[in-house]
Amino acid sequence: MIDRAFDLLLIGGMLGLAVQVVASRALFRSVVLFIALGLLMAVVWARLAAPDLALAEAAIGAGLTGALLLAAYRALQPAGEAGDAEPAALPRRWALVAAVLSGALVAAIGWAVLGLEPPAASAGREALARLGESGVKSPITAVLLSFRAVDTLAEVVVLFAAFLGARVVAEPLGRAGPGPRPDPAGGEPVLMPLLLRVTVPMGVLVAGYLLWSGGHQPGGAFQAGAVLAALGVLLRLTGRLQPVAETSPAERLALVGGIVLFSAIGLAGAGMASAVLAYPEGWAYTLILLIETGLTLAIALPLTLLFSGSAGLRWRGR
Amino acid sequence: MAAGGALSLPLAFLLPLLTALVVFLLGARRAPWLPGIGALATVAAVADAVRHVAAHGPQAYHLGGWMPPLGVELYADGLAALMLAMTAAVGLAVTAYAGPYLHDGHHHQEAERFWPLWLVQWAALNGTFLAADLFNLYIMLELVTLTAVPLVAITGDRASLGAAMRYLLLALLASLAYLLGVALLYGGTGTLHLRQVGELVGAGGPAAVAAALITAGLLLKGAIFPLHTWLVPAHSNAPAPASAVLSALVVQAGVYLVLRLWLWTFPALLSPAVGWLLGGLGAASVLYGSLQALRQSRLKPVIAYSTVAQLGYPLLLLPLAAVPAAAAQAWQGAAYYIVAHGLAKAGAFLAAGNIRYSLGHDRLAGLRGIAPELSVSVLALGLAFVSLMGLPPTAGFLAKWQLLSGALGGGQWPWAAVIVLGGLLAAGYGLRVLAMALAAAPSDEPVRRPPQRLPRRMVAVPLLLALAVYLLGVSAVPALRLLEQGAPEALG
Repeated sequence: MIDRAFDLLLIGGMLGLAVQVVASRALFRSVVLFIALGLLMAVVWARLAAPDLALAEAAIGAGLTGALLLAAYRALQPAGEAGDAEPAALPRRWALVAAVLSGALVAAIGWAVLGLEPPAASAGREALARLGESGVKSPITAVLLSFRAVDTLAEVVVLFAAFLGARVVAEPLGRAGPGPRPDPAGGEPVLMPLLLRVTVPMGVLVAGYLLWSGGHQPGGAFQAGAVLAALGVLLRLTGRLQPVAETSPAERLALVGGIVLFSAIGLAGAGMASAVLAYPEGWAYTLILLIETGLTLAIALPLTLLFSGSAGLRWRGR
Repeated sequence: MAAGGALSLPLAFLLPLLTALVVFLLGARRAPWLPGIGALATVAAVADAVRHVAAHGPQAYHLGGWMPPLGVELYADGLAALMLAMTAAVGLAVTAYAGPYLHDGHHHQEAERFWPLWLVQWAALNGTFLAADLFNLYIMLELVTLTAVPLVAITGDRASLGAAMRYLLLALLASLAYLLGVALLYGGTGTLHLRQVGELVGAGGPAAVAAALITAGLLLKGAIFPLHTWLVPAHSNAPAPASAVLSALVVQAGVYLVLRLWLWTFPALLSPAVGWLLGGLGAASVLYGSLQALRQSRLKPVIAYSTVAQLGYPLLLLPLAAVPAAAAQAWQGAAYYIVAHGLAKAGAFLAAGNIRYSLGHDRLAGLRGIAPELSVSVLALGLAFVSLMGLPPTAGFLAKWQLLSGALGGGQWPWAAVIVLGGLLAAGYGLRVLAMALAAAPSDEPVRRPPQRLPRRMVAVPLLLALAVYLLGVSAVPALRLLEQGAPEALG
């Protein structure tokens, strides 16, 4: 009963927020409501017993996407003006057309979903049944790093491609990122250094824990990378990390090293194990942890650089 | 647990990917030879895959040793092998061409960005042709899109940034539609494998909604009328090597997947009405694209609109596939069409790139009198246009001939009329360009800026691509025999 009521509340909240995100006339308001929508979505995943998705949604869907949207919103402001740069509202006619089309789409998909008969067997159930063969105890990690490893490999390459793409367009636009950075040597709130001294080590610890826990419970490279990226955003905003125009060799290595390692181990599988992207008998857990460590950096750095709007970052302490 | 199949299948994806990563790691300026080596290695892997398919029939490689539905399968039949080979030919040509094009001293920044993007794109294209898994296909398509958009924007001027933004938004909308369809299919069948889904999905309502979503997404990525609006600004504002891969490979991957999914996954849904609808969109593309190409005043938009037109032909297979007397020939024609168009279009865009590189513009009216100085590039452009028109002895002629005789043999005269009309219109826009290029320079013209000298490799590459189109027109038997390996059962 309570569950049902809670679910209804969630659904109502999601729909209400979604309508306001689209209908709101102020862009800033839409962005903030969209972040709230992401957080609510994370709760929905948790209710659907998908803690991995809930973690990823909260960290990436709400947190980092929100930070990116806010940085983009700032870049839209005309230089030197305080006023809001609001996009021109869509003419009512077109909004109506879009609404009718989306409504028809949602109705068609809803009708199709209600008509679906659950299949007798599914890849998901087979993954659960054969979890033991993968070498790890978490079914999500088994799917991501063993059964469908090529998808994960390509997903991280997607992030790399997104970084390359952002570099192509950021320079001619010249207004990417969160804007003028405070110099930590100058004035800043008294509590800031203290706060960072606690938050940063704790964040690194949490990321390390999430990475390690991926082997047997919810967690893994995506969640750990998202937490590290959030730390990167924090350090960039407080001026500890300064944007620079060149990607340093160490940054290049962090961006692609994990992908190279993953591909190399995958290729070695053709000789050492049964196939490309298979692990040798008994080595699966160790190699998966090694790959996930590399991937954590290959996920965290492009996300931080996308937010920073720069090709690289340089440390500048107090 | 066993992989089965040739090792060259995963290598066709992994080798260009690893090259891209190492090029990024070292920097393209420090290792200018590396893309070439990676390209040669990729071509060798593709050649081995093609040889395996030709000798031993379709190859299936189970990544990680996991059989579907649990794992992801790479699958190469004759059609996939032909696409891989065409991509390898265009890829090698573009890699050879882009070297001197980008390293001429003006484009340092562009070179650093071009190589990783293009090599990742090559890997993703090979992945798209090989994937036998609907979700793996989604990621590969996403990678193709996310590398194609920056390639459009790479020059960084206002026009290309605007074109890239429009392309990005529409292509992401297409990805979303595709993914929604895949989710529905997995919900109904419990598997993502192309043929397993085909066996389980049936022809009910949910399957139809999923097929509609997936097809709409792919038609947008394939720039089929009326979803073509993004293509012309994107392809005509990109630098020459990027235009070549975008028009010859990226959009064709969308059209390839439409054929692949309708013939292997949704044959049960391919009723005459659906076939006519999809074929009708193809026909509309052919006619609309050709008419627009006739009206352009610059060379690159002519070639870009010609892409819209040429992409329509392969879709004519879908209404013909259900007609027993037409199916076999139409199948050969449609598959051959993609190959012929890929090679000819890459040649045309690279030749146009030479003209633009040399003159600094590509206005048709300003092409008068260029033939003596740019004779080889104009020749390559002319040869490529002859294939696009469908005149013998080119591969384009052979493909049109097969499609046409299929359509006539099955009594499907409306499609035959579209094919003939499209060829005539192509002759119109092709000859219009060539007439300008071959005309004598107007005598009253003020002193012209002397054309910039072209590096020798940039002159040779488009000509070689155009000659390959003729080679495939003269000797088609090996390619057509390859196509018989694993031809779809849904035909006829």
